[in-house]
Amino acid sequence: MLHVENLTKRYNGTLAVDRLNMDIPEGEIYGFVGANGAGKTTTMRIIAGLLAPSSGKVFIGGIDVFKEPLEVKKHIGYMPDFFGVYDDLKVYEYMDFYAGLYGISKQKSRGLTDSLLELVRLTNKKDAYVDTLSRGMKQRLCLARSLIHDPEFLILDEPASGLDPRARVEMTEILKELRSLGKTILISSHILHELSELCTSIGIIDAGKLIASGSVQDILEKMSHANQVKIRVSSKEEEAVKILMEIPGIGSISSVVGVIDVNMEGGDEACVRVLKTLVERDIPVVSFQPVESSLETVFMQLTKGEEQ
Amino acid sequence: MKINPILQKDIKTKLRGWRSVILICSYVTLLIFILLIYFVGNDLIYSYTMPSFNPRVAIGGYNLLITFQFALLYLAVPAIIATSISSERERQTLDLMLVTKTPAREIIAGKILVSIAHILLLLIASMPVVGVVFFFGGIGFPDLLKLIFFYILTSLFVASSGVFFSTIFKRNIVSIITTYIFLGLMTFGPFLGFFAYSLLNQMTFSPTYRSIALSLFPSPVFGFLSFYFSGTSHYDIFGSYYGHGLFSSIAYEFEVLIASETGLLRYMQPWIVNGIFSVLFSLLLILLSSAALNPVRRKK
Ligand SMILES: Nc1ncnc2c1ncn2[C@@H]1O[C@H](COP(=O)(O)OP(=O)(O)O)[C@@H](O)[C@H]1O
Ligand SMILES: [Mg+2]
Repeated sequence: MLHVENLTKRYNGTLAVDRLNMDIPEGEIYGFVGANGAGKTTTMRIIAGLLAPSSGKVFIGGIDVFKEPLEVKKHIGYMPDFFGVYDDLKVYEYMDFYAGLYGISKQKSRGLTDSLLELVRLTNKKDAYVDTLSRGMKQRLCLARSLIHDPEFLILDEPASGLDPRARVEMTEILKELRSLGKTILISSHILHELSELCTSIGIIDAGKLIASGSVQDILEKMSHANQVKIRVSSKEEEAVKILMEIPGIGSISSVVGVIDVNMEGGDEACVRVLKTLVERDIPVVSFQPVESSLETVFMQLTKGEEQ
Repeated sequence: MKINPILQKDIKTKLRGWRSVILICSYVTLLIFILLIYFVGNDLIYSYTMPSFNPRVAIGGYNLLITFQFALLYLAVPAIIATSISSERERQTLDLMLVTKTPAREIIAGKILVSIAHILLLLIASMPVVGVVFFFGGIGFPDLLKLIFFYILTSLFVASSGVFFSTIFKRNIVSIITTYIFLGLMTFGPFLGFFAYSLLNQMTFSPTYRSIALSLFPSPVFGFLSFYFSGTSHYDIFGSYYGHGLFSSIAYEFEVLIASETGLLRYMQPWIVNGIFSVLFSLLLILLSSAALNPVRRKK
């Protein structure tokens, strides 16, 4: 559905996107993750045809975004990270307006609006003025707007940003519904766990470069050589730390009242070796628990060093 | 026919509630007020020669009214249009519009249509007042239609200038100021140049209509001179045209100059000359604005 080739964007001097390649097959939900300023918005605006790249190519459904911009726009729905609304419009008029811009007839747009407002749970706000809506509602309305022409490909730039936890959950529910409708979605966030249960694939962008990309599983496996283990001991905590420090391949160690967090290299064998050593040295180990490397820790590890 | 969605939305929101009704009513009241003051003042002056209604005064009133409308158009249209694109940008709704399949030029056209529609609404609402003068002063209906047509062409010119600056400047305020400055230059610049030239060449200067048209054609005020009635052709029994004020005398001078031209130019009244310029120049500005708004060619 989406094919991005060597996309580069320079803003007088600063490199916002650096030779980015990306492929999203039909039906995928692709999570685009990166810290603030990593280049997510820039990339998505270029894909949506709102910004000219310095170089590179973008195809959506096989159509070149920069050669046939109007044709491509029929197939994409775009929700920006920051957007405004016209305060003098009612919700259904707002939808009518954008339907008009997509050349959808009045009768048709009314039916579409009704079903979209139902999807984003705004049916009872149909006659309300747009500026009286809460932020979460505006965000959902903007999502409904991006769907008015029934696009196959959605570009959602941080759709859950700035929402309270409840509104976030609502947004996620709606996105899951869209997934079940068979839409291909490119969705960005600077918080990884927001996307982990929703997405089929993840791409991690840092300083304009795509540093990791693949299915959620792939990304996790890439990191499996780095393990985190939680060890609880009933006593001899200091001795245990001392022993751990002698073992090669152990990274950072931190201990708080009987619980020792250990970062170490190597996979399962390394874990076995560490546990064996501790038991042999008579350390009363109560529990030894490898921490599932969550996407969040993967993300932190992948982008570390850039933070400081 | 499909109505431009931007125009459609504007009509829907602007005509809602009492705001526009109040605006139109106060505008018409103002026109009536201006006219009354003018009539009262002039009736007092002329009453000893002409106890009943003086048609010459009606023509003076007409000239005054259309001048007022023209000035209003000049001041109001930029205020509406010069923020049209930049305010969408400031409000962060521009991208939402550009991401639709509506091409940039239709967005620009929609914005221009909106401002012309506003002016048209005021013009139509004021027609009864202008009509009174038209009734008393013997100004023909075709003259009125011609005038409205010229107002629309001028609105187009003013609006395309405004939309152009609104597209290339990011901030509302910059765009508004530049638009007014630009319009001021386009409107009065040719006159200043012309007068400066005539002062420098006082000895040899004898302007023909051709030379005047060639130097003043960009200025809508030049075109507008067509619409001042000298009244001489209808009412010269009441005395010399100099008694009718500056506008009427200018109008008279023009009639004489144009009448002495030969060929096509004899029919190219100022409003036609300037009208053609307005249309061509507007098209150019619309093309430039569309290109500037087009995201893929847009810088930044
Ligand atoms: N209009 C702009 N002019 C100059 N630099 C910009 C502009 N927009 C973004 N940038 C820079 O490009 C980089 C990427 O920004 P952005 O794409 O907004 O990141 P993200 O959406 O991931 O937070 C940042 O360093 C930002 O400062
Ligand atoms: Mg962003």
